[in-house]
Amino acid sequence: MRGADYVIKRGFFALVTIFVAITINFFLFRVLPGNAVTDLSRVPHASPALRHALLTEFGLDKPKWEQYLIYLNNLAHGNMGISFANQQPVSHLLLADLKNTIPMVTLGTVAAIVLGVFTGVLSAWRRGSARDHVSTNLAISAYAFPTQWLGLMLLILFAGTLPAGGMSDPFLFTAEPFWQHLADVGKHMILPAVTLMLTTYGSFTLVTRSSMLETLGEDYILTARAKGLPARRIVWRHAVRNALLPVVTLIALELGFIVGGAVLVEVIFSWPGIGLAMYSAIGQRDYPMLQGGFLILTVSVILLNFLADLFYFRLDPRITA
Amino acid sequence: MTLPIQDPSLAAEGLGVPPRRAGFLLSVLRERKAAVIGLAIIAFFVLLALIAPLISPYSATAQTCKVYAPPSASHWLGCDDGGIDMLSELMQGGRTSLVVGFAATVVAIVIGGGVGIVSGYFSGWADTALMRVTDYLLVIPDLVFALVIADIWGPSLFHVIIVIGILEWASTARIIRAQVMSLKERVYIKRAKAIGAGHTRIITRHILPQVGPLLMANTVLTVAIAIYLETALAFLGLEDPTVTTWGTILEHAFERTAISSGAWWAIVPDGFVIAIVIVGCFLLGQAIEDALNPRLKAAHLSVRRWRIRPLAGRGPDAI
Amino acid sequence: MKTHFGAWARALLAATATVTVVAACGGGSGGGSQGSSTVKEGGVFRMGTSSTIDSLNPFIAFQSDAYTTFEYIYPTLVQYTPALKVVPNFARSWKTSPDGRTWTFSLVPNARWSDGKPLTAADAAWTFTTIQKFADGATANSAGYVAHMKSATAPNATTLVLSYSQPVANVLSQVQQVPIMPQHIWAQYATGNGKALKTFQNNAPIVSGGPFILTKYTPKQVALFKKNPTFYGPKPHIDGFGLQFFQTTDAEITALKSGQLDGVEVPVAPTSVATLKNAHFMVRSSPGDSFDDFIINSAPDQQASHKELLNPLLRQAFDHAIDRTTIVSTSLLGHGQPGSTIIPPATGAWSDPSIKPTQFSLDTAGQLLDQAGYKMGPNNLRIANGHPMSYTVIMPSDLAGEYGNRSFQIIQSDFKKIGVQLNLKVLDPSAAYDALTANNYRNFEISMWDWYPLTDPDFMLSVLTCNSFDVWNDTGYCDKAYDKLYSDQSAAIQPSQRQQVVYQMQQMIAAAKPYLVIDYPDAIEAQSSKWSPLPEVGGGGFNSMSIIPMSTVHQL
Repeated sequence: MRGADYVIKRGFFALVTIFVAITINFFLFRVLPGNAVTDLSRVPHASPALRHALLTEFGLDKPKWEQYLIYLNNLAHGNMGISFANQQPVSHLLLADLKNTIPMVTLGTVAAIVLGVFTGVLSAWRRGSARDHVSTNLAISAYAFPTQWLGLMLLILFAGTLPAGGMSDPFLFTAEPFWQHLADVGKHMILPAVTLMLTTYGSFTLVTRSSMLETLGEDYILTARAKGLPARRIVWRHAVRNALLPVVTLIALELGFIVGGAVLVEVIFSWPGIGLAMYSAIGQRDYPMLQGGFLILTVSVILLNFLADLFYFRLDPRITA
Repeated sequence: MTLPIQDPSLAAEGLGVPPRRAGFLLSVLRERKAAVIGLAIIAFFVLLALIAPLISPYSATAQTCKVYAPPSASHWLGCDDGGIDMLSELMQGGRTSLVVGFAATVVAIVIGGGVGIVSGYFSGWADTALMRVTDYLLVIPDLVFALVIADIWGPSLFHVIIVIGILEWASTARIIRAQVMSLKERVYIKRAKAIGAGHTRIITRHILPQVGPLLMANTVLTVAIAIYLETALAFLGLEDPTVTTWGTILEHAFERTAISSGAWWAIVPDGFVIAIVIVGCFLLGQAIEDALNPRLKAAHLSVRRWRIRPLAGRGPDAI
Repeated sequence: MKTHFGAWARALLAATATVTVVAACGGGSGGGSQGSSTVKEGGVFRMGTSSTIDSLNPFIAFQSDAYTTFEYIYPTLVQYTPALKVVPNFARSWKTSPDGRTWTFSLVPNARWSDGKPLTAADAAWTFTTIQKFADGATANSAGYVAHMKSATAPNATTLVLSYSQPVANVLSQVQQVPIMPQHIWAQYATGNGKALKTFQNNAPIVSGGPFILTKYTPKQVALFKKNPTFYGPKPHIDGFGLQFFQTTDAEITALKSGQLDGVEVPVAPTSVATLKNAHFMVRSSPGDSFDDFIINSAPDQQASHKELLNPLLRQAFDHAIDRTTIVSTSLLGHGQPGSTIIPPATGAWSDPSIKPTQFSLDTAGQLLDQAGYKMGPNNLRIANGHPMSYTVIMPSDLAGEYGNRSFQIIQSDFKKIGVQLNLKVLDPSAAYDALTANNYRNFEISMWDWYPLTDPDFMLSVLTCNSFDVWNDTGYCDKAYDKLYSDQSAAIQPSQRQQVVYQMQQMIAAAKPYLVIDYPDAIEAQSSKWSPLPEVGGGGFNSMSIIPMSTVHQL
């Protein structure tokens, strides 16, 4: 398949999937039994007219297809609607939430990659040894424990020494100097990021290990050994570089799902990010927030997958044949 | 969380021809220790689930001790926030969790297998349409999607089963489709077609048996994922809180101040049993897979999900 | 997570219009007595909550913590003491005209907003008038506060006159809930149809008139309140307080125990009480003003398949089959009281003391069902009107997640012994309400839910009126005689006269039994012993009923 062809095809696919995502998003939420207005209008001091006023205000009295077209039009202008719960623009709220989620998730993922690659390489190198077995089984086990359980365990172990929740020390009337604030946020970020790391690294270990095993079986490695190169150099300078291709694509794929998986971590540690926002929005039947959050997460996964496709395409010449 | 198959070209070419099914499983067990361990673990928990009502020391719903009583000689794993014996609760939870896991898997495998076979065998526009659908399902974030659907339908065990089934069939479909497509090209299939055998006959007599072992591996791994997803959904409050599953046990502990009360026994054992079952499924599933294609031993399938990259395949297989 | 329904209603715990209205027409600050122990000035009180502030705009906000915020930053005319007496806040005194239709409030002179502008009766009049003006639209969520109000005027800077079209019995409890807002900030939004009133975000720092200024607010994280130097009343001892938001009570309690917080708001789970007490925290469990109920469909035209539910003998039988004592000790861990009347005793004089919890007796229950002609059939189920007595019980998921499930299990097993089968159906709160009101209340059979009635009985009594169908009524109960009594009590400005009617209404409900009141859960709070105990007003030390707690708390 020719290069340009391929890029266009994958790009087109990504766009179509995004559009499908937008559409299904919309209708999915409109199928909810009970609706946001039921909750909001049941306020002791409200007049019965309140319910009707709210319905009109949120446009919920129009036919579905009309709501859909309005939604599409708004989306094209970057307007994701107003949150039912607090009347603020959804895009602003989600952007702020995303700004909180991304650093924490990035830290956890990077740590997972580093740990995973490291353990995977060592396992492959010492294949069959006790170290290999222990390391691999540890990775599998960490992978198998539910994310929320790992988070709760860390809470139990470290609740006294590390902050049990939130993103920074809240009770400060005057703003902290920048570095102090950074340190504060960092301290709060440790437990959620470590949880994410523990729950994710297993997949990287396994993939790295198997990829390394294959690479180490290649002829050029044998040649290098025959030439007398030290094993360490062979492993780290030559084998790892080649074995990392699947790991690279795995990273791109993992990022998409990690954002979704961060929901559990954010709930446990009260981390004010997009996962927590979605979790709250569901209980409040806050349609616009749900639509917006779901859309952002889905689109980012689609885009990251597209990037992964391109990356893979570039790195693996076999594809272009 | 995904682990791409190591060599995409392998997936397209299809796997080695596996021996007949029954003998196949036994040979896997004979050769690989990991498979035996995995199967033993699964068997143990299934047995436990079946006889739980008989060997449960106390009731799993009625109060039999003080709230958050620590482990003692009479209550080995202590008690939860309602004064219910933890050990009995875990056994009861295991029953329900395994039922959910198996049921969801059945849904996923039946749909996924069916779609995969139809798609791979008939090709054409049916194939393209179905693959579009699977593409979408494969790409959206699992948990977030499950969150939304489970919330739409309301908290109930039945809904959770369906939701997990809906999420997991796509990857099965992909894998089965790839193998069916390669099988289709095999000589004996073509011969059967030339003789004039009908589609149904070819599918049931020739394709299904070959696809069987792969489906088996898939099934086992899907069970692991289903159990995992069930705990996540329960934790987020999307399951009927009145039902006891391993997932709701964890959710109750979180909601009802187990940690600040120091009641680690309401949390720790639960996580362990979940992990053990999942690891068991993983070991067995992976062993079967390894046996199917030695070259594929590099392609460890994820305990959570796996997929053939849309990239998979060259030539006419590429989407 | 709490339902908005519960959390919001909880926020609006208004006290009883005092039996001693006359006595309250004196002056005096609203403070409780100061402790004679050492009062250390300064410090920041760090409070934890598992609720949220959904909006800083009073016309949008829905959650209890938002209302508490308004209570502390905006002046209210009156407030409550821990004894649930109505005492002055911004209004120093008040009097009523003989026909009960005009209320005149005399306000604190020379008051200022935190930005220096004068805080006068004009602001108060503007607030009430604006709510009235847009009561069908932008200010609909506050419309109830100004029910029957004709006008609100400020003849001078320290006098506010409220005129009503008819005598209204609970004026004080209604105005207690109205935050007086700075006209010079908000007036620009009250144009046209007032829609702009709801889009104004009112971000921190907020121009405040109460004892504290909201200086910083980070959604889902923290709200910080600083002492207001221009406050017209007694200055707080603390420099300020903060409210930190948590996802769960477990996280809060952990933070409290590790010294990150000084106190946590109601509710604290009963399971935490022991550990907190052992760690030398102050835990207060006081009689609550909420109740858990067992609702029996009372719509006269309900489906024939369960019409026997209307039979008074059946209702009495069910009442006798609920083991309230066991429920309190198991579900609430002893932190509660058996339930009787729909106006909880903790709310004061409006609760009819003659109504007592029904005796638990399965024998009596069985006899009553026999009397009704519902004989035992196959499978140990009684037969009523040709079908087995098997009913679906709808429960909202938040209640089921807490302890509702345990209570149900107890009731279910007891009912089984008298030949009635109950099946639980858990739905999320708005779906549950829709299920109750479906087909004009004809379809549902039984439900278990809870109520946080406002302390003034008006709200809880209104729930059972015909007008409240599809608004708050969750029983299908509609009785003209009851409605007549309701309007009588809402116009009875003589407290003793009103009390008579309110008692009569409670007795009517206790006989008709649309609700079987199961229990009154205690309100549990916890705080560090390094601070003076927060005065508890209406079931909590931090709510929208009073500014006394944060104004008087101090380090020890």
